[in-house]
Amino acid sequence: MIRRETITEAMYNAIRLGATKMPPDIRKALQKALSEETDPMAVKHLEVSLRNADLSEKGNGLVCADTGFPMYFIHAGAAAQVEGGFGVLKSCAEEATARATEECFLRPTMVHPVTRKNPGNNVGPGMPKVEIFFDREGDGLEILAAPKGGGSEIFGTFYRMMFPADGEAGIKKFVIECIKDACYAGKVCPPAIIGVGIGGTADLCMSMAKKAALLRPVGVHHSDPEAARLEKELYEACRKLGIGPMGSRGINAVLAVNVDVAVTHTAALPVAVNAQCMVGRRWIARIDGKGNIDYTGEMR
Amino acid sequence: MEESIRNISLPMTKEVACGLKLGEMVTVSGLLFTGRSRFHIRAIENDLYPPIDYEKINCFFHVGPVMRQEADGEWKVVSCEPTSSIRFERYGADVVRKFHLHTLIGKTTMGPATAQALKEVGGVYLSKIGLSGNALKGQVKKVHEVHFLEELGKTECTWIYEVDHFGPFFVAMDAYGNNYFEDLAKEAQSRMPEIEKSLGIPPGYDYTEVNA
Ligand code: SF4
Repeated sequence: MIRRETITEAMYNAIRLGATKMPPDIRKALQKALSEETDPMAVKHLEVSLRNADLSEKGNGLVCADTGFPMYFIHAGAAAQVEGGFGVLKSCAEEATARATEECFLRPTMVHPVTRKNPGNNVGPGMPKVEIFFDREGDGLEILAAPKGGGSEIFGTFYRMMFPADGEAGIKKFVIECIKDACYAGKVCPPAIIGVGIGGTADLCMSMAKKAALLRPVGVHHSDPEAARLEKELYEACRKLGIGPMGSRGINAVLAVNVDVAVTHTAALPVAVNAQCMVGRRWIARIDGKGNIDYTGEMR
Repeated sequence: MEESIRNISLPMTKEVACGLKLGEMVTVSGLLFTGRSRFHIRAIENDLYPPIDYEKINCFFHVGPVMRQEADGEWKVVSCEPTSSIRFERYGADVVRKFHLHTLIGKTTMGPATAQALKEVGGVYLSKIGLSGNALKGQVKKVHEVHFLEELGKTECTWIYEVDHFGPFFVAMDAYGNNYFEDLAKEAQSRMPEIEKSLGIPPGYDYTEVNA
């Protein structure tokens, strides 16, 4: 039985670490990008950003001050038992988020969409976002906390319902145009990780795009060969745009293009794009069946 | 390398602003005020703005910082990452004219209306270089005042910072109506046909249109 307190603690630490550390795969990808860029401004953008991440790791500052939308993605083992039942995960996420905000690891950024009233703790209807996946085995919980950046969400979200006749050409045209627009003047803080959802319903399509952007290590391709082929072709195309870090002249508009697919209606071709900013914030807490917590920036 | 970057005293004069070149990197020292969407909307729609001397405190820093109040009541900057200025374009030009601003600092850029206003008053827009919130917070020497904290909260309210060698930033809009990113966007656009070809998108391709 995993205790409620343990879960709250794990979520709090995961979101705190997410806000203050750069995941190792992201850092490596940014360093590679730095080695490729030649324009002085492009180089400077990356140098400054990597140094900023160093400063935050050393002094408990933030990787970026806009800690964005608080999101938790949870993998529950088939035999996992949670004190009070799985419904408490939502309350745990609220407590963890409020505490991290109180302690200035998260900026109080969530407001009512119409009145713009700010509760001051990032907690309200729908937020923090909690999503649970049930695994076929195991008895623990794996909690990935992602403070999802504002700029990348605000300027990097696109959806289009196309039709079967629009074909692969339509998918590619849409994605490359979205990326060009999202990177203009550095709006999504490039080099971005681009998630692309193809198929499903509108909500599933966007959800796939978000997860493809947030939940995959940089450099890992989809197991579906068609999806993987699209990823590679789109990634190469992005590098020819002439857009680099923070929208400067350069090569690395993106660190990766991650595609996910779902079956869809025979008359439909929905495509969604969601960007993750260069800091790629996410950190993981793994709780085993006995309640021991382990924190890591490495994804499985 | 950092030493070769020009430092400008705030408030920036029109003469200094007019001498800055597109793409030039600079730092600034002196007093500035912060704000974002709510500042813009309220100043223009409701004529409601912090009662400060805009001639002296003339640099508008687009930011929603993370702030912490210490036990002694003093405010400290935890992190201050410039926020996307392009969001404020609807009000940007009016704000520049109303407060006669010679310096804007933010993320991304602004649009043609603000460019025109900056040209009229002789002002520049400075854009952030990389993610630099942690370096920037160390360059804030003192938090002087805060306005509308209760009403707007720590992120949207207006803080008055005294900064020293704050930056570096680069001139993304000069005092003559030019925009660094516009040229770049044109270059990217001109590469599109070639890129589309490499992706196997037929020339003149368009999505299926289902509306009249
Ligand atoms: S888009 Fe940029 S400024 Fe916004 S959270 Fe991401 S890294 Fe920070």
